[in-house]
Amino acid sequence: MANALDEAVETAEPKSDAPSSPVEEGAVVAPTPPSVANEAVAPNEAVTPKPAPNGAGKGFNSTGIPIPDRNTAPADAANHPAATLKNRYLIFPSMPLIDLDTPTASAYSVEDRREPGRHLFALICTPGLPTRTRTMVDLRSQTVNGLIPLVDFGPVYWSPLGQSCQVVIFERPLGGRFLDAFIDKPLKINEYDIGKRIFEPLSKALSALSSLDLPHRAIRIDNLFYMDKDRTELVLGECVTSPPGYDQPQIYEPLERAMAMAAGRGYGHVIDDIYALGVIGVFLLLGYNPAAKASNEELIAGKAEWGTYQCLCGNERIPLPLIEPLRGMLSDDAKERWDTAAIEQWLSGQKKTPIQRRGVSKPKTTYKFANHDHLTPRTIAYSFSKNIAEAAKAIKSGKLELWLRQSLSQPETADSIASTMAMTKVHEGSPDGADDILVTKICMRLDPQAPIRYKGFTFMPDGFGAAMAIEYLRKGNLQIPGEILARDLLGYWFACQSPVTPDLSAMDRSFLALRNFAKINEIGFGLERCLYELNRSLPCQSPLLQQSYVDHIEEMLPALDVASEHIDKRSRPVDKHVAAFIATHFKFDIQPHLKALSDPREETSLIGMLSLFALMQWRLSKTPLYGLSSWMGGLLQPAIGTYHSRATRRTIEQEIPALVRQGSLPELFDLIDNADRRGKDNSDFKNAQIEFARAESEIQSFIGADIDQEKIALQTGERFTAVVGVILGMISVTVIIFVKSM
Amino acid sequence: MVKHSNLSPEQLEERRRRGRSNLTWILVVGTFLLVIAAPTMIVLFFGMLPTLVASIIDRSDQKSATFCVGAINFIGVFPYILDLWFDLNSIDAALNFVTDLFAMLVMYSAAAFGWLLFMTMPTVVASFVTVLQQRKVAQLRGEQKTLIEEWGAEVAALVEIERTEQREQHMEDGVSGMAYKNNG
Repeated sequence: MANALDEAVETAEPKSDAPSSPVEEGAVVAPTPPSVANEAVAPNEAVTPKPAPNGAGKGFNSTGIPIPDRNTAPADAANHPAATLKNRYLIFPSMPLIDLDTPTASAYSVEDRREPGRHLFALICTPGLPTRTRTMVDLRSQTVNGLIPLVDFGPVYWSPLGQSCQVVIFERPLGGRFLDAFIDKPLKINEYDIGKRIFEPLSKALSALSSLDLPHRAIRIDNLFYMDKDRTELVLGECVTSPPGYDQPQIYEPLERAMAMAAGRGYGHVIDDIYALGVIGVFLLLGYNPAAKASNEELIAGKAEWGTYQCLCGNERIPLPLIEPLRGMLSDDAKERWDTAAIEQWLSGQKKTPIQRRGVSKPKTTYKFANHDHLTPRTIAYSFSKNIAEAAKAIKSGKLELWLRQSLSQPETADSIASTMAMTKVHEGSPDGADDILVTKICMRLDPQAPIRYKGFTFMPDGFGAAMAIEYLRKGNLQIPGEILARDLLGYWFACQSPVTPDLSAMDRSFLALRNFAKINEIGFGLERCLYELNRSLPCQSPLLQQSYVDHIEEMLPALDVASEHIDKRSRPVDKHVAAFIATHFKFDIQPHLKALSDPREETSLIGMLSLFALMQWRLSKTPLYGLSSWMGGLLQPAIGTYHSRATRRTIEQEIPALVRQGSLPELFDLIDNADRRGKDNSDFKNAQIEFARAESEIQSFIGADIDQEKIALQTGERFTAVVGVILGMISVTVIIFVKSM
Repeated sequence: MVKHSNLSPEQLEERRRRGRSNLTWILVVGTFLLVIAAPTMIVLFFGMLPTLVASIIDRSDQKSATFCVGAINFIGVFPYILDLWFDLNSIDAALNFVTDLFAMLVMYSAAAFGWLLFMTMPTVVASFVTVLQQRKVAQLRGEQKTLIEEWGAEVAALVEIERTEQREQHMEDGVSGMAYKNNG
């Protein structure tokens, strides 16, 4: 069996200039809401203030606080009528709510048919962007105080985009955005109010989320709202329309996750939310972003070398009572970072043991790389990942190993780097020995907590799924994720971790299973299977379902039924994405069906496809599928040809139209692959073969090549004559005896 | 004449051995019959001489000519044997019959008729047989055509396989034959 991973690697061309993250490039390829294409760029560039022509960013440019643009244009009401969700909520494309837009989703007015006066708004998610459907389910079923209430969600056909999208409906915050309260005054809250107005409501919300084991991962200053008109009830905004951390400007993310590309920041934990809360606290206390002028690289280098608190607040005047809470919330060590209990303890006036200030151990000499004198392995790793060719040279020169031993006194790290280099040398000339792999592995050794960085694809392991989905959205292929799985870089990352927690072990095992999926180069497996296994809420990306939004297995057959109306009927209704999606979401055993589907023989593959769809319709959908049945019926000629009997074939061909009119795939399958009929066909065919051979044998006995037909006929005549003579003799003897005895 | 070139030496030896055994039995039985029924045996011997000749001439396995000539020849001989049995059953009477020109003419004419029958009838019968075979072949071909129309050309797979095997066997035999020839 061919190895899909190896194939992926063989076809891979190293791209040293590959963009570091899709968000940074802003190259979202799928159709996006009018505002999204621009806004998708925003998060990682957001440290630089941007003009906000008509949105929430108005008036805050001078603060340097990252606030995205919002400029959704209203759609023409005549051409774009209201979309309906679950026959209850009317969403109006002609009535955008720009103030409620998020970086990747546009807001529109909603009317509830059952409760007409209800204040709601809808967020239209970017098609193809993975959403947090599980979180939506949790938040819909239970109210979380301090979080904007999620009312409902689901896919609708969104006419401005010409395709179906995920829509999430929220209760409308009557007091608007938190930032709107500061339009006519400086964006600043004093040290006496900040606890009660900001930390208290938000930490309660985080505490509630923590109890549900749901990290928010979208806590930023422009994602805070007032639910009431009096602006007393502060809540966190939505967190479900994009992958965790995807919309966050880099400054809000803890150092490890900030180094990853936006899509690869990972699911995270509530302590990552507390870090973001700490950043909001700094902004509001100071009234500006103290790191506004720093580039992304400078910010990361600063955080790595001095620590986040020192980097952001080192040169600022922080009120004494807030130093310890901010230091706790902004701690770069996740273990010693404050949790919600610690914040509540502080808010209630209790003192907490101050965090020990531990500076980064200074090396005896700096390590010069890329015109920068590095003090820590972490910044070296970050810099290496940006300059692969130079990094490979530097590593191979042996100076890094020497510096680690002599200047930093880290012989273990130096040894691990030496062994990694030796292993790479063994694989020289093969993909495992490439510079990209060497640098990626060395970076993991230098900074084990940092994300995996390979060819600009930078992600935390718990963000691999989302990163993969965005990569597919951008490039239309999964080449780099495929190479990562093939080279087992995830396994290497887990091997670098110490100590190994149960969570890490579980994640490692799940990636091992994925690697096995990726190795199988058959339909229903491969990298597409990995994509859907890692992104359970990702809608099926098949081009066949371009206009539909299929994120549940129950929706697959009806969507294909609809797709049959406008798709070339000569194409098959199953491609790699459809099969992988079904294999991921369909709970019944379909291995035999997938095996048949992957068969190189067309007829077996068609029967496998029909049996799979028949099983799905039988298990999931009782409604007739006229379009899909017709589509399948038109493709089945090679499968019908598997019957030997021409009469049986004609019978089946005559019966197909009637079954297509019933819209029943199980009936169609039963017609095509009925066990009794097939058994009878096979046995009759064998009998016919035997009959044919018998006839041939008989013919050959008469006219065979080595047979003298005339001679045989003559011999027969001679035998016949002899018999006649004998009979004549016997009769004559009898007559003579009779005559003599008379 | 039947050719024995296709028989192996073992088979030829077996045939010779069986022939000797038969001759022994014939001599034993003949001697016995000569002792107990000498007149009958004399008439039979001289009357059936054409059959003996036919038996010597006829080298086919089936001995069709022998049976045909013998059966008709016996019709000519049998009335005189009956005369012996019903009248005077002595050697003199038997010698009278074999020296009677008319009696011998009857016996040998019967044998000649037998020969005539054997010379003419097989050809006529062979013509009938050939026509019947051709009709049978046409009927079988028709059946095969019907099978192919119903089941497709693959219905002949077994026949094709058999032919292929035969061809391969033929090739192998040819190759081993060549090798044997070259080595020999």
